[in-house]
Amino acid sequence: MDFHFSEEQKMLRESARDFLQTECPKTFVREMEKDPKGYAPGLWRKMADLGWMGIVFPEAYGGIGGDFLDLLVLLEEMGRACLPGPFFSTVVLGGVPLLEAGSASQKEEFLSRLASGRMIMTLAHTEPVTTQFDPHLIGVKARAEENRYSINGTKLFVPDAHVADYMICVVRTEGKNDSPKGITLFLVDAQSPGIKREVLKTVARDKQCEVTFQKVKVPPGSILGRLHEGAPILEKLLQKAAVAKCAEMIGGAQFVLDMCVSYAKEREQFGKLIGTFQAVQHHCANMVLNIEGGRYITYKAAWMLSKGIPCTKFVAVAKAWVSDAYKRVAGLGHQILAGTGYMEEHDMPLYSRRAKAAELAFGDASYWKGWVAKEIGL
Amino acid sequence: MDFGYTQEEEEFRVRLCNFLDRELTEEIARQNWEDKGVGPEAREFSRKLAANGFLGMSWPKEYGGQGLPATYDFILLDELGKRWGAHIPLDVGYTMVAHTILRRGSEKMKREFLPRIIRGEIEFCLGYTEPNAGSDLASMKMRAVEEGDDFLINGQKTFNTEAHYAEYHWLAARTDFSPNIPKHRGISLFIVDMNSPGVSVRPLITMSGERTNEVFYENVRVPQDRLVGEKNKGFYYMMEAIDSERNHVFTPCRLLPILEDLIRYVKETKFMGKPLAENPLIRDRLAQAAIELEVAQVFAEHSRWLESNEMPMTHEPEITKVFISELEQRLVDTGMQILGHYSQLQEDSSWVPLRGRIEWYFLHSFMTTIGAGSSEIGRNVIAQRGLGLPRG
Repeated sequence: MDFHFSEEQKMLRESARDFLQTECPKTFVREMEKDPKGYAPGLWRKMADLGWMGIVFPEAYGGIGGDFLDLLVLLEEMGRACLPGPFFSTVVLGGVPLLEAGSASQKEEFLSRLASGRMIMTLAHTEPVTTQFDPHLIGVKARAEENRYSINGTKLFVPDAHVADYMICVVRTEGKNDSPKGITLFLVDAQSPGIKREVLKTVARDKQCEVTFQKVKVPPGSILGRLHEGAPILEKLLQKAAVAKCAEMIGGAQFVLDMCVSYAKEREQFGKLIGTFQAVQHHCANMVLNIEGGRYITYKAAWMLSKGIPCTKFVAVAKAWVSDAYKRVAGLGHQILAGTGYMEEHDMPLYSRRAKAAELAFGDASYWKGWVAKEIGL
Repeated sequence: MDFGYTQEEEEFRVRLCNFLDRELTEEIARQNWEDKGVGPEAREFSRKLAANGFLGMSWPKEYGGQGLPATYDFILLDELGKRWGAHIPLDVGYTMVAHTILRRGSEKMKREFLPRIIRGEIEFCLGYTEPNAGSDLASMKMRAVEEGDDFLINGQKTFNTEAHYAEYHWLAARTDFSPNIPKHRGISLFIVDMNSPGVSVRPLITMSGERTNEVFYENVRVPQDRLVGEKNKGFYYMMEAIDSERNHVFTPCRLLPILEDLIRYVKETKFMGKPLAENPLIRDRLAQAAIELEVAQVFAEHSRWLESNEMPMTHEPEITKVFISELEQRLVDTGMQILGHYSQLQEDSSWVPLRGRIEWYFLHSFMTTIGAGSSEIGRNVIAQRGLGLPRG
């Protein structure tokens, strides 16, 4: 048992925090919420120069050969800073599955471009029929034509699709709409004729998009993994994405707590610091319970994932717990920061709005509790 | 980072599990857990644990221990917990008192007590709480006055569980009566033979049928060499022991058998022809309980890791304590909801499901957020020691 972060991870955390404090102030975060692209190419380039996009890719592809835990350390800091932009989409949703399931030529084609920040990727998964999260409910179809496939249908809540160069598109090539069998993953050029992308207006003002595919032609060589057998790749991708999202959430929740503790140490009411009131202390203590539990369970699941230990239960526990925990922390944060924290210009709403978006991403607590129920034998 | 156990630790666990599956009956486990009084079977089990090398793993060899990391003690607690055994049969001496004797006791005291504790032969009971000193423990009034070679002790303690079968009282009493000092600076710790003339024990029966006690001291003479460490330092010793106590007492594994019983029950019990396990609300609640148990486990693993590696603990074991005790209440509420009408049936009633365990836990669980420090005091500790918020 060892809860220590490695020296490299500590350095990574420190340098990421310093960098983001300078490069990603809250004014920038708010600006990007209104910006059509939602990220700044200049900052993106600097992040690439630091090696962040290549953090989990082997050196042969221009990466720095780190592991999944290193990526989580970085994501925690990004969550803390509310970093806008397509990092998560590109690295976690695009790069990680390519690294794990891509053919040699696909890795060759994509990974070095991802690692150097020259390519933005995302995952087109959810659909209008997904009124409740269900990864295998895929109705968008790819029909085999001569020497190619033709994709038709609509994907929703596709993060950063509007700026993506490529998408992993989850489609049905066989079987019923809710069957794991017959799902295929295609690497689709986002500029392909027949693709329309539109940014949805969301609570976190992140850039989740509607993407419509109208007779979009893709060659068979663009299949990630094997025809009809995309479900296992998708499941693994979603497990990693869920745990990675947890790290981002924990970073955000920790910032909320830090903000509240500082405020409670300087704000006076009734002639006393509000931090001396037990009601406020207990709110803060409750935040600690939510955050610390979330952090340990997240890293435990990540450690198991990186060791290849079967851990569906722990992934499920982590995403279920952290989804609820961040929401509770945000609620308590609002209570402590009170009227001032309710103002649009305050930092608090940035976090409570993102807590909701993150809760919904890759399955909320209800969804993952379904997995836990199965894992405990129900 | 590493969330696994070493091969040696896993091998130890296997040996231990083989032993426990053979020797630990549910009845023995419950004798201690429900504070029914440790009977001859539990005493015998305690000696066998020691004889097989499962006690004193983390203690120094010169006092009968094995000099291993504390992790081994925690593995023992986990495996006991999975079998309804919340702790070892004579646990107050082992998990609470002995650590302080080791840190603060004289050489004579260590040699006198530690080997017997490790051999599973003697038990202590804590003598802290008084009728007017609960959460505000430092305001205790019990008086210990030096008289010749002895301390002369008078006063009353309450909620001293185990006092009716322990050999020794781990007693906190006031030794400095000056009105000008902070009240926590005038307290000392003593080891008192429960057979000492002037000590009397009266039962208090809890709502869940456990026995705890009031203990009265009337001119009880305690030799000077039974003072633990330095005079007037007792409160500090109590506080420095509290983190490790929490780590040893609040183990998530002891709640696993409840969850397992409930899982079995919902699979075997039908409503309108369908197993309860198919009901989405029931699945959701049991999944939530399982999630919280895993979070509790990783909380415990974290604070145990600090202790096993002798790193400073401030509020981490308090987090574990608050979380697990409240989780127990939520888990039991889930159980009562699932059992419906049947949840109210007691162990010896006809029609009782799950041997009445859930009903007993329902009653018992009111105590878990109070005993050993209330959740409210716990949250104060987390806020003040963990986050540096100012005291009011």
